[in-house]
Amino acid sequence: MQQYDLMVVGGGPGGYVAAIRAAQLGFKTALVEKQHLGGVCLNWGCIPTKALLRGAEIAHTLKEAENFGFTIDNLSFDINKLVQHSRSVADKLSRGVAYLMQKNNITVIDGTASVVDKCRLDVSYEGGVSQYRSNHIILATGARARNLPNIEIDGDLIWGAREAMTPSSLPGSLLVIGGGAIGVEFASLYNDLGTDVTLVEAAERIIPAEDSEISSIAEKAFQQRGIKVMTSTLVESVEGAGAQARVLIKGPNGEHQIKFDQVILAVGIRGNIEDLGLDNLGLKTENSFLVVDQFGKTNLAGLYAIGDVAGAPWLAHKASHEAIICVEKIAGLADVKPLNKHRVPGCTYCRPQIASVGLTEAQAKDEGRSIRVGRSNLGANGKALAINEGQGLVKTIFDADSGELLGAHMIGPEVTEQIQGFGIAQQLEATEHELAQTIYAHPTVSESMHESVLDSLGLAIHQ
Amino acid sequence: MTNEIKPIGMPKWGMEMSEGEINAWHVKVGDQVNIEDDLVDVETAKIVNTVTAADNGIVRAILAQPGETHAVGDLLGVIASVDTSEDDIQAFINSYATNSEVVFIEKAPTMTEVANESSTQVEQNPSNTDTLSGGEDDSNVSASPVARRLAADYGVNLNNIVGTGRHGRVSKRDLEAAVTAAGGRLISSNNSVPNKAQQGDDSDIKATPVARRLAEELGINLLECRASGDRGRVCKADVDAAAAMKNKLPSQVAVVAPNTSSSESQTISSMRKTIAGRLQASKQTAPHYRVHIDAELDNLLTTRKQINDANTDTKVSVNDFIIKACASALIRVPAVNVQFNGEQITHFSDADISVAVAIKDGLITPIIVGANNKGLESISNEMRDLSTRAKLNRLKPEEFQGGSFCISNLGMYGIKQFDAIINPPQGAILAVGTGEQRAVVRNGALAVATVMSLTLSSDHRVIDGAVAAEFMSVLKGFLEQPATMLV
Repeated sequence: MQQYDLMVVGGGPGGYVAAIRAAQLGFKTALVEKQHLGGVCLNWGCIPTKALLRGAEIAHTLKEAENFGFTIDNLSFDINKLVQHSRSVADKLSRGVAYLMQKNNITVIDGTASVVDKCRLDVSYEGGVSQYRSNHIILATGARARNLPNIEIDGDLIWGAREAMTPSSLPGSLLVIGGGAIGVEFASLYNDLGTDVTLVEAAERIIPAEDSEISSIAEKAFQQRGIKVMTSTLVESVEGAGAQARVLIKGPNGEHQIKFDQVILAVGIRGNIEDLGLDNLGLKTENSFLVVDQFGKTNLAGLYAIGDVAGAPWLAHKASHEAIICVEKIAGLADVKPLNKHRVPGCTYCRPQIASVGLTEAQAKDEGRSIRVGRSNLGANGKALAINEGQGLVKTIFDADSGELLGAHMIGPEVTEQIQGFGIAQQLEATEHELAQTIYAHPTVSESMHESVLDSLGLAIHQ
Repeated sequence: MTNEIKPIGMPKWGMEMSEGEINAWHVKVGDQVNIEDDLVDVETAKIVNTVTAADNGIVRAILAQPGETHAVGDLLGVIASVDTSEDDIQAFINSYATNSEVVFIEKAPTMTEVANESSTQVEQNPSNTDTLSGGEDDSNVSASPVARRLAADYGVNLNNIVGTGRHGRVSKRDLEAAVTAAGGRLISSNNSVPNKAQQGDDSDIKATPVARRLAEELGINLLECRASGDRGRVCKADVDAAAAMKNKLPSQVAVVAPNTSSSESQTISSMRKTIAGRLQASKQTAPHYRVHIDAELDNLLTTRKQINDANTDTKVSVNDFIIKACASALIRVPAVNVQFNGEQITHFSDADISVAVAIKDGLITPIIVGANNKGLESISNEMRDLSTRAKLNRLKPEEFQGGSFCISNLGMYGIKQFDAIINPPQGAILAVGTGEQRAVVRNGALAVATVMSLTLSSDHRVIDGAVAAEFMSVLKGFLEQPATMLV
């Protein structure tokens, strides 16, 4: 039986970061991965979708090139080339993770792990099983798309994210079920590439996790682009009808039967806990996710969980952060601080982009806080207008008493690159005054961040 | 032009003064000085005082070095304007040397002026000067006032200092030399003695994160800083200002050791040195003898399984049981729970058990303190944490120094039985082999049992054979009937 000080199950942005940090601290470390180093994020999520969305952005730019004086004839598009680009980026990054494992002397074990007892791991691979002993085992097995009771991903008519990012041809019409971050990104992508897209969301607004003002601006922008957005709407059934899907939709205006060439199911995710052998060990779970303490410790001695499998928010950067604090806590480092979920930024890469950190206005009010809200419309931002992206909003929410930045919500061009400005302000416990006194460069989209803060103080200049 | 050149001469403080010893210069060549600025400390048979500048100008030459004795009227240095040529300065010095009639007579300073504030001050807690601190009342020892004042700061009794001054008088240099020789440290004038504010707790002071970090880096207490930031916060500029006020230099750049040559032979690590030294001494000074016993583990393994099945958050190992059983046996047979330094035996009321953990390039023995008072679960969790951090070199000294008994377990390597060397100043060490199925004879019939071999090495100077045997038999009892540890 081979022995390690620390073993990690899963090679995604939680697992590989945990392994590297452990190796840095001097643990004899191994990482078990059943498929691709880099996990869903790198292979089937964040990264390849961003490569595809770049294609969508180019399509959009080409469409509006006329506004800037260009006439483009004989424009053609080969979706296979775009998918190829996306896959090559994923492969390149996955090889990068393999290099990092090697550089840090981390043993990578190919196979499927199961926890057979406290501090004991079996890894099965084609043609055998290897046994391992490790005082500390970190599960970073991630999550996968959730099915609906009556609608399941079949990879043919009904795609999950994986099929949706490797299409062999562009569907003429597409139904996206689920208006969360993943759903709106695919809706935005396929709409820009020329597909007729319908987006269905069960809640009363799309991207329900975001501030409601952001949702309504996104919905308006989507509708202007020709995406049909149906909220408070359920999909009752999806049936094959020849090469198409016949879909029964039930909304505020009653039931409708509509045909689509393709359906994407994006109604949330569930934790990957089934094949880990945890059933007999008495491990605590909640809705398919493992229950952990603030440093990732499960109720089983020597077993830890980080990232998606340990619960919301299901974001790569949250997984990486948990990886660091979990390993450092095991190593007995001083001053390891638990993750503050209110400081985890969230980014959605539809057009216009959405980014936020902290509490929404409704959440802040629900907590009974007295708040000060600032808003800045991108319609008054010179740079946004110059690049023809004047649709958007920066909304800031401050505690009226302490001046703490409780939340920031942005929609507009490249806001995903700007949100960290507010994240840093939160981490340093800056108040609206420090932000107001900060000099923002002109002309930038980020000037609207400043303007929003000024507005919260009643000092806005440009609106 | 020569009238712009002003001499710094050895003053005559009082009628009896005929010469003075240069103590320390406050200025160096090239410094701008103004009237009344301190120039040089001069020590006489009675006092130390500071020569101040009589004119404005630039210090162009310093002719007398600290430690030198000069007659009244001797030229110690030269002040002149910046545009005075070197030739003129030199000419002035040469002419001065031949002109010994010039005599400076100044009023004698009062004794309170003696204190020399600037040249050297003391660390808050001067270290290693203890050897100089004892002795009788030193108020009658002949010493310069500065030396006496510094002696008080260093906590040095002047009886312990050999004076080299006139008539065996203790000078400041004598004192500093003695402090240095005793291993104490002198602090230059730049590091002023921390004042009260600096020692205060500033954690409640409102400050920006940058300011707090910078203050820590520069050794500035936030209580010393103005708070000019927003809403009364201390900001970076405030810390910078406080640092400038203190004339605090940025921390010294660490001296990088020169690259060692790529020689084949390897200097042993300090850990290896410690292991080598301690175990050699143990083997040479402590007469080791061993007693050996086998213990059947089947009951223990059943109990262990029950405990682990019933508690998901615990993983008690066989070794955890051995730690607990040893602790219980040590309380039952306290004669084994001892340290011996060659002269004195120390008996302990609690069992602090050192457990040998193999780490990269060596081993270390973290301690389960008071294992007799702890349950298996807390021993197990503590041991997991200690061995994790042992492998990462993150144990604190108090976590591995001490202990009244030691366990070394090589069972995981399949070792059947071995002898261990006592970890001094402890009196005994237990060597634990692997638990394995063996044929045993019970009531004249062969049976199969899980058996573990245990070997106790004892220091015969303090633990006699019968005591060791009793300990092992008690230990065997606890391991074979773990429930009896509950009593």
